[in-house]
Amino acid sequence: MSTQPAIAVSHLDVRFGQAHVVRDVSFHVRDGESYGIVGESGSGKSTVLRVLAGLNQDWSGTIDIRGAPQPKRRDKAFHGAVQMVFQDPYGSLHPKKTIDDALAEPLSIHGIGGTDARITRALDEVGLPRSFRFRYPSQLSGGQRQRVAIARALILEPGILLLDEPTSALDVSIQAEVLNLLQALRVERGLTYVLVSHNLAVVAHMCERLLVMQLGRAVEEMQARTLTARAPQTEYARQLLLASEGFSRPSV
Amino acid sequence: MSNAAPLLDVANLRVDFPTPTGTVHAVRGLSFTLGRERLGIVGESGSGKSMTGRAILDLIPPPGLVTADRLAYRGQNLLSMHRTERRHLRGRRMSMVLQDAKFSLNPVATVGHQIAEAFRVHHKANRREARERTLSMLEAVQIREPAHVYDLYPHEVSGGMGQRVMIAMMLIAEPDILIADEPTSALDVTVQLQILKILDDLVTRRGMGLIFISHDLHLVRSFCDRVMVMYAGKAMETMPAAELTDAAAMARRHAYTLGLLGCLPELERPKAKLATLTRDPEWLK
Repeated sequence: MSTQPAIAVSHLDVRFGQAHVVRDVSFHVRDGESYGIVGESGSGKSTVLRVLAGLNQDWSGTIDIRGAPQPKRRDKAFHGAVQMVFQDPYGSLHPKKTIDDALAEPLSIHGIGGTDARITRALDEVGLPRSFRFRYPSQLSGGQRQRVAIARALILEPGILLLDEPTSALDVSIQAEVLNLLQALRVERGLTYVLVSHNLAVVAHMCERLLVMQLGRAVEEMQARTLTARAPQTEYARQLLLASEGFSRPSV
Repeated sequence: MSNAAPLLDVANLRVDFPTPTGTVHAVRGLSFTLGRERLGIVGESGSGKSMTGRAILDLIPPPGLVTADRLAYRGQNLLSMHRTERRHLRGRRMSMVLQDAKFSLNPVATVGHQIAEAFRVHHKANRREARERTLSMLEAVQIREPAHVYDLYPHEVSGGMGQRVMIAMMLIAEPDILIADEPTSALDVTVQLQILKILDDLVTRRGMGLIFISHDLHLVRSFCDRVMVMYAGKAMETMPAAELTDAAAMARRHAYTLGLLGCLPELERPKAKLATLTRDPEWLK
C-alpha cells in the first residue's frame, strides 16, 4: 500500500445533456491489481471506463494515473501507458485493414521502430499463428479477433489495460481461452486491469476487488472473496448476485 | 398433464445448405420429442440450435434443404403437408420468439398494431376486439400501461419491453408450441428473470410446450425440465436439466457437456485456470 495507486478516480461526474449517467464515483486501483466494475446496462460502468481511456471528454472530478492528474484531452504518453480492449471484436477491427495494419498503426503513431519484430512477437504472445498477419478480420473467428484486439492493445507495452466486456460476445469455450490469456499476460507483465462486465462469475474469476454500480452510482465496493462467499452488504448487490444464479421458480 | 401423441415428434432431422464449395450440414440427424414441458437446447454458435427451431417452423431460407424421417405436430406430418396448411399452423399453433426483438419488429408500425394484426390473421375478429385482446395480452406480459405502449413504435420501447412485445405477439394466437431463440440473452439479468417468469407461467398454466434455445448453461439448468446439448448439428446427449450440474450424475455426462461446464468460471468454486475445450471428431460419427 506504500506505493501510489495506478488509478485514482475521485468524485467523477458525467452528464450527457439532461442525463446524469455517472454520479460522484470514486475508487482507486492498486498497481498490479485487477479491478472489476459490475452493473446492469445503463449503470454507467462502460462510461467510467471510456472516461478513463480518454474517449469521453465531458466529465468533472479528478483522475490520477500513477499520481499524475489527467487533463480532459490526454497526451500521447498516456495512450502509451493505458490501452483499451472493446466488447465487440467484430466492430473494433477495421474490416478493410489487415491484422498487420491494425497492429502497425499504434507503433507508427508513437514513432516506435522495429515494427516487424514487434508484430510477430505480439502475435506469438496472444497465441495467434504468424500466418494470420496478412489476413483480414473477416477471415478470423470471434475469439481470434479478440486476440488481435488484445495484441493491438499490448503492442505499446502499456502498464494498464482497460477491458470493456472483453468476452461477452464470445462462446463459453472461447471465453475461457481469452480469460486464460488475459490472466497469463497479467502475471507475465505485471499489468493492471480494470474489467467491466455484467457477468459476476467472470469478474470474480479475474479480479481481486470490484465495484457494483447502479444508475450511475457506486453502490458497493468489495473483495471478490465477498462475492464468492455471497456476503455483499447492500441489498442491490445481493439482488444482482441472486439474479445471476439463474431462474428460481417462485414458491407456488 | 399426459397426452398420447407428443406435441412435436422429430426424427432424423437434417438441414443442409448447398454452397459452391460443398454442402454445409447445419443439422445432422436430430431426433427428439416435445411434450408440455420446457426443453432446453444448448450449444455453441454454429451448433445448429437456431436452425433446428427454424426448420420446425419451415423458416429455413432457400437454398437450405430440410429433410427428416418424421416431423410431426400432434401426429400430423408437417413435411407432407401443403404449404398453405403449414402456414395456418405457423403462428397459430407454433411460433417463435427471436433473440433481438428490435430487429424483428416492423419499425414503421406501432407495436399494438403489429400484435393486433397477428391476432386478426388467425382469428375472425374486428378491430375493436383485436385491440382489446392486444391490450390484455400486453398486460399479461407485464407491461404497466398497455394503452400507452400500444401506440408506441418499436424504437420508442426499451430492449426488455421490445422482447415482451414480441412475446405478446407470438402468444396472442395461443400456440401450443413456442420456440424461444435466445429470448433473454440481450437483456439485463433482472429483466431476464421477468421474461422467464412469463414463459414459465405459460408452460405451467396453459400447458404449452416450450423449446428454449440458449448458450447459457446455468440459465437452462435452472429454467428447463430437460436439456439437449448440441454440437456441430448433432445432439450429444439429452438429460433432465437438474442432472446438468449434479455431481452424482457427472459420470454419465458426455465429454462435450463436461467440456462446456469446465469452461465456465464459477462463483462457488474459483478455478486458478479455466479448462479449454477439446473437440473430438469421433463425436460426429
